[in-house]
Amino acid sequence: MSKAFLIDLSHCNGCYNCQVVCKDEHCGTSWLPYAAEQPVTGQFWMRVDEKTRGQVPWVRVSYVPTLCAHCADAPCAAVCASDAFVRRSDGLLVLEPEKCTGCQACVDACPMGAIYFNDDAFIAQKCTGCAHLLDNGWALPRCADSCAHDAIQFKDEAEYGSLLSEAEALPGVSGLGPKVYYLHLPKRFVAGSAVDFAADEVVIGATVAISGAKGFRAELVTDELGDFKFDQIPDDQYSVTITAEGYEPLTVTADLTELDLSLGDLSLIKA
Amino acid sequence: MKISDKTVLQNLGFCGFGGAANVAAVDVLDGRIARIRPLHYDDDYSPEDLNEWKFEVRGSTFRPGMKTLLPPISLAYKKRAYSPNRVPCPLKRVDWDPNGERNPQNRGISPYERISWDEACDLIAAELVRIHDTYGNRAILVQGEGHGETKIISGPHGCQSVLLDNIGPEPGEYTIQARQPDSWEGWYWGAKHVWGCESHGQQNPQDLVALDVAQHSDALLFWGSDPETTPWGWGGLQPSRLCFWYTEIGVKQIHIAPDVNYTNAVHADRWIPILPNTDAAFQLAIAYVWMTEGLYDREYVETHVEGFDWFEYYVLGNEDGVPKTPAWAAEKCGVPSYRIKAFARYWGKRRISISHGNGGGYVRSCFSHEPARLEAYLLGMQGLGKPGVNQFKFIEWGIQGIFPVPPSAVQPVLYASYKGWIMAPPKYFIPKTMTPDAILGQDRSISWYGHVICSMNREDQFLGFEYPGDGPRIHMIWSDTPCWETCWNGGNSYQEAVRHESIEFYLVQHQWMENDTLMADIVLPISTVFELADVSCDLNNGQWAQVTYEEQAIEPVGDSKGDYAAVCEVARALEKYGGIYEGLLERFTQGRSFDDDVRIAYENGEIPLDEFPLEDFLERKYVLFPTEKDWEDRPHGFSNFYEDPEGFPLRTPSGKLEFYSLGLAEHFPDDKVRGPVAKWIEEADGHRERIHSDRAQDYPHLLVSNHPRWRVHAQHDDIPWTREIATCKVRGKDGYQYEPIWIHPSDAAHYGLENGDVAELYNERGRVLGGILVTERVMPTVLYQDHGARTDVLEYGVGGLDRGGANNLICPTKTSSRNAVGEVTNGFLVGIRKVDVDELRERYPQAFARDYDPDCGLVATARIVGDANVGARSVSEEVCHV
Repeated sequence: MSKAFLIDLSHCNGCYNCQVVCKDEHCGTSWLPYAAEQPVTGQFWMRVDEKTRGQVPWVRVSYVPTLCAHCADAPCAAVCASDAFVRRSDGLLVLEPEKCTGCQACVDACPMGAIYFNDDAFIAQKCTGCAHLLDNGWALPRCADSCAHDAIQFKDEAEYGSLLSEAEALPGVSGLGPKVYYLHLPKRFVAGSAVDFAADEVVIGATVAISGAKGFRAELVTDELGDFKFDQIPDDQYSVTITAEGYEPLTVTADLTELDLSLGDLSLIKA
Repeated sequence: MKISDKTVLQNLGFCGFGGAANVAAVDVLDGRIARIRPLHYDDDYSPEDLNEWKFEVRGSTFRPGMKTLLPPISLAYKKRAYSPNRVPCPLKRVDWDPNGERNPQNRGISPYERISWDEACDLIAAELVRIHDTYGNRAILVQGEGHGETKIISGPHGCQSVLLDNIGPEPGEYTIQARQPDSWEGWYWGAKHVWGCESHGQQNPQDLVALDVAQHSDALLFWGSDPETTPWGWGGLQPSRLCFWYTEIGVKQIHIAPDVNYTNAVHADRWIPILPNTDAAFQLAIAYVWMTEGLYDREYVETHVEGFDWFEYYVLGNEDGVPKTPAWAAEKCGVPSYRIKAFARYWGKRRISISHGNGGGYVRSCFSHEPARLEAYLLGMQGLGKPGVNQFKFIEWGIQGIFPVPPSAVQPVLYASYKGWIMAPPKYFIPKTMTPDAILGQDRSISWYGHVICSMNREDQFLGFEYPGDGPRIHMIWSDTPCWETCWNGGNSYQEAVRHESIEFYLVQHQWMENDTLMADIVLPISTVFELADVSCDLNNGQWAQVTYEEQAIEPVGDSKGDYAAVCEVARALEKYGGIYEGLLERFTQGRSFDDDVRIAYENGEIPLDEFPLEDFLERKYVLFPTEKDWEDRPHGFSNFYEDPEGFPLRTPSGKLEFYSLGLAEHFPDDKVRGPVAKWIEEADGHRERIHSDRAQDYPHLLVSNHPRWRVHAQHDDIPWTREIATCKVRGKDGYQYEPIWIHPSDAAHYGLENGDVAELYNERGRVLGGILVTERVMPTVLYQDHGARTDVLEYGVGGLDRGGANNLICPTKTSSRNAVGEVTNGFLVGIRKVDVDELRERYPQAFARDYDPDCGLVATARIVGDANVGARSVSEEVCHV
């Protein structure tokens, strides 16, 4: 039965426990034949990718724990001339240090940047899924064990049931049969407030409609603080139109192709 | 394959007063710590065994969780044990000669040499005897009250005071540095006078407030509160779990602060940016809207509030001709008036609670008592205690009867074997905020109000004290808390104080060569908790109360000993002098062995022994105490007072919420800064820390210096695995890991600053460096740098320069206000400019040449010469393996 990681980003608080315990397990301790020592710093077999999104006053930080996806169709294993990549019966892909010749082809082949090169030991290294622990009675790798929110799960693929159908892989490995799935990967948001500056009041209950160049549409009304926020929408060029009774309609553009956006306090003028 | 030889349990909390959370399973392999991991309760208990509590609200269930909820600073803690910055052996400053020149001016500059434990203790004993005979022991300042590892038997903070208690005719003949309510100053000095909540000043009772918020609140305000950071060292990650749950069940989370703290970053529905320490203006404008639009609970105010008319008179502008309108407040606080109005109306129509987790900006700024009182007023105007209307505290659960989540039926205390200083009124003391004043003001006395200790009641603030009174001045400091300069109010002044000639002997016992330790004359090497056996008590985890038997995990690193063992060594050396020192060790230890101490602690720990026998504890290594029966029956928060203010009066003189404080009016009738009614204070009592102050022309930015995300105050700054996280350190082009300075892109562009640049924050008190992080996580014009970074001083004293980024060095030295001697460590004015590191290197070649490892920062050998490196090597060798 093949194991898989399922990482629910809606429950990741960015504490870095997963990144830290991976180091606690592997830095300075050798678990041969599964893994050689990891250098004290610089390698991230479990790496939290942190990104600050938006602008004042609509700002959010996304944290995406990123690790080797143990792909079924692993490009790293394909380029390895020394058969150092070994597929276990539980689906984990282990890079055996004693077989590694240090050619670094796998480091370049991994679309995730999940394989690191150890200059001193002259070997490539990566996540083992804590196979040495799993083979000695542990049910979970360290990252999953340390997560206070169970945001990182590790189970037989079949045990997840329908959850996996809602999940996504990271784009770089999505076609490679990855064994690391995500729920709630960050998309885009756009937010702002409707304000009648002349009256020195926010505008509550204004209708805000967004329309993306590729067809995505949504609508909501400003809340009791005059705010609106469209979250988890596709990256695209948007037109944002605000209409409120007694006011001239306002249309602005929002380019969300690269960034999340705060539109700030948008001025509505009395009709 | 062997993955561990043995597993021991350790409490890896960092509050340092005998109880904290974060019990970890520590796996040991080949004599070394292999891993630190959560303790899984379900290996030993079922939920039924523990009478598991559950919150079932709005179709969702919150359960306490069946493993410990450790933060990364606990999980990475072995790196502190094996840090290359451990004190390797007893050390003496090379040019401190107790029989000749003591060279106090060289403290912080001259290096250390190795001495033996016997030599060190003989020197210490000789100095103690000399001080006693020359001045009396009141000339010894005991610093023994800081944050640190959680210890009970093996030597918590203040162990040395217990030894001194046994010298002389009666206990207490020394001077204690009184520990302040350092993370909740405003609540202590202000809010208590409104609602009488003892002793911290935040809302107490807290019973089931976490549930009340879920059941009844539309929104939870986070007014500078950061439950993703400040509770880490005390209670772990249960507060974080609650925030996720509140989102799931639709409790809106609104943050009001100058910065996007780590809770805001993940959980916030809305952020209202506000200039640092201008919250009082915002609060007054909210009150103005409520008063003028009838949006408060008049009936409640009628029956529950004392002196509302005084407050109304002030808010509406009748007192000073200035109505506290939203437009007036917008000028002060930077929140637009339309937003203040909308927010006030939203609040006035909804059920809203306010959260805090200690720290936060305004409660540690100048005049912090004012916004703290105003918050209590606002809650009062909305019917404090009504379902959904409370102040919710995310930290220190289990302390002083604070139980926002259901408590265990047994609340153990292991103080019967506590070897540290107990926070009770001392005979002789100085406030920690006034230590520099006390030492530097040689020709004058200083005075203040209150014992200042954080566990004192409101009335204590009316008692007057002075130093030195009829006693001697301070001539010796004995510290196990060497982080004054990077944790308190004006560290550069502290440096001047301890380098003053009146300080003849400065003794530090500590694990690491960091901060104040580098100014000591003798340093004793102390073991970390891993190297010691102990017991611990966890009341704070938000799951179940626990006692833990902590076996020794590893052998002592270097020549270190536990704090208790170290003080025993000093006692032994003193015994050689006979007389009052005869039999000192026996008096100090009471002849008790470690096993005796464990038994005595447990048997006197308010634990029902028939149900939870000692033998079981010793065998199982830990005991969890089940949730109390019928916990659901506890009244929520202030609901009793809400329903029956006469039957359940507050601990204020009137028994009501005092918008007009009768106590302050009686005792401080002339105080215009902390008067009977809370107000907006622009400048006063030595503080000119506003963007409209004249000082702002030279220092135009207000600095937010929150409690640090990756440290507990000064602890943990040498952990390589946090130091490589982007928000922990910024690598300069010189390879040095600088403490981050957050700056908004608009300000960065103005100064030509880019990510990775090295800049200095400066004011007339000195300069500290930092690494630039350009970010939208701080509002324009405001700068942000966490407090508590490890010092790396280039120039000592006022006007000095620190490479480490310890911004407490340049905090205001004045206290909260004249009659409230709280610390002011947040929201103060600084300037910023880019620095040329190469120029600095040329100017400070020696400092730049200190032994430095970017993974951990400065290492012990940076300060040690000669043979002592033998000891240092023994540490380094161990480090090589981990």
